[in-house]
Amino acid sequence: MIPNSFEYSAPASLSEALGLIAAGGKPLGGGMSLIPMMKLRLAAPEHLVDIGRLTELSYIRESAEGIHIGAGCTHFAVESSALLMGKCPLIAETANYIGDIQVRNMGTIGGSVAHADPAADYPAALQALEATIVLKSAKKERKVSAAKFFIDTFTTALKEDEIVSEIIVPLEAGLTGTSYQKFLQPASGFAIVGVAARARREGGKISLIRVGVTGLSGNSFRATKVEAALLGSAGTDAEVTAAAAHATDGADASSDLHASAEYRAHLARIYTARAISAALSRTA
Amino acid sequence: MKVTGARELPIKPERAWELLQDPAVLSKAIPGCQSLVRIGENQYELKLKMLLASLSGDFLGKVTLTDHEAPTKFRMIVEGSGKIGFLKGEGVLTLSSILQGTEVAYDGEAQIGGKMASVGQRLVDTTAKLMIKRFFKKLVKQGFGQDPDVEDEEETDDV
Repeated sequence: MIPNSFEYSAPASLSEALGLIAAGGKPLGGGMSLIPMMKLRLAAPEHLVDIGRLTELSYIRESAEGIHIGAGCTHFAVESSALLMGKCPLIAETANYIGDIQVRNMGTIGGSVAHADPAADYPAALQALEATIVLKSAKKERKVSAAKFFIDTFTTALKEDEIVSEIIVPLEAGLTGTSYQKFLQPASGFAIVGVAARARREGGKISLIRVGVTGLSGNSFRATKVEAALLGSAGTDAEVTAAAAHATDGADASSDLHASAEYRAHLARIYTARAISAALSRTA
Repeated sequence: MKVTGARELPIKPERAWELLQDPAVLSKAIPGCQSLVRIGENQYELKLKMLLASLSGDFLGKVTLTDHEAPTKFRMIVEGSGKIGFLKGEGVLTLSSILQGTEVAYDGEAQIGGKMASVGQRLVDTTAKLMIKRFFKKLVKQGFGQDPDVEDEEETDDV
């Protein structure tokens, strides 16, 4: 189908782009969510500001704070980054699970994060990593934790004149293992549930455990009850399974044609246990 | 699609009942409501502009409130259509007194069709839940005499 007519700008610099967005333009990343919605006329922005082409937003670099991933990096750039594979493999592994190769070559991490689809993959990893989202407007820059950034279905801490400019993920210390496990809807590639786990073991005991869940309900979240149940334990299979049963505590599971709320909740518990077991097995 | 759930409101059941029956309050509580005009006994015409991130759509519909058992129970029937699809639903809302105020339980069935449903099936359930959450938030704000359109400043760790 053909979208409503709209104006299109491809600014040459980030500051020019932010000016156009402050004037009411809608930022366009890789266009993997927004363009299909426009074609179906579910969305009808009047002015698109293409920030997906800005080289200023396309970088992956390390600092003392962590690894900085520019919002314009495609999912393919994230999954194939040697720096990320070596020092923060969870985010690379998660990117590899997104859609198909065509989508990963076009879609950007900033676009996906800003869109906040309840079944997107990145939110689970960003929650487990306790990542920081950098937001930028023509006037200022601010940082928000992933836990506070994702507010609800399609709802984030972004203000109208802001874009996601960067994601900062922590440098993983030795002995930290991570894993992303996903049950996908085969046609769309979206997660029916996706669980990211990050664990550290010291002296045979779990000294750090973070679990991020996506797809289960309207928003991604940290499964803090699961984390609390495992902290300090040896992380045996029985302990992991028992803890994973809390993955759905307090969650309002979604229901659609592909999975009822009950089935989704069941999957969430199973995939939580799998993600934690895989993460623990990588803590060597 | 089943639409069932419950929400706790920090106001007394009698007050919650009043709010839920007052078209002026409802028009400010329904997310995206442009107008709610009385067209008959307990019947209203609803104009809605749904806005959610970059999604948008206009709806024109009818809301009927019936089977009143004040102040605990009533039935709500909503029918509407727009360019992006149609919506038909009805359900019973039950108010009960709890320690924190009122529990509103809703139990209903909705049919959604058209483009919205065929391409957005995956998102219908989560979107409906979000709208219900927003509705009750805006309702309670009015119960406390606050402006329902003033969004709470979300706490963020600004640098």
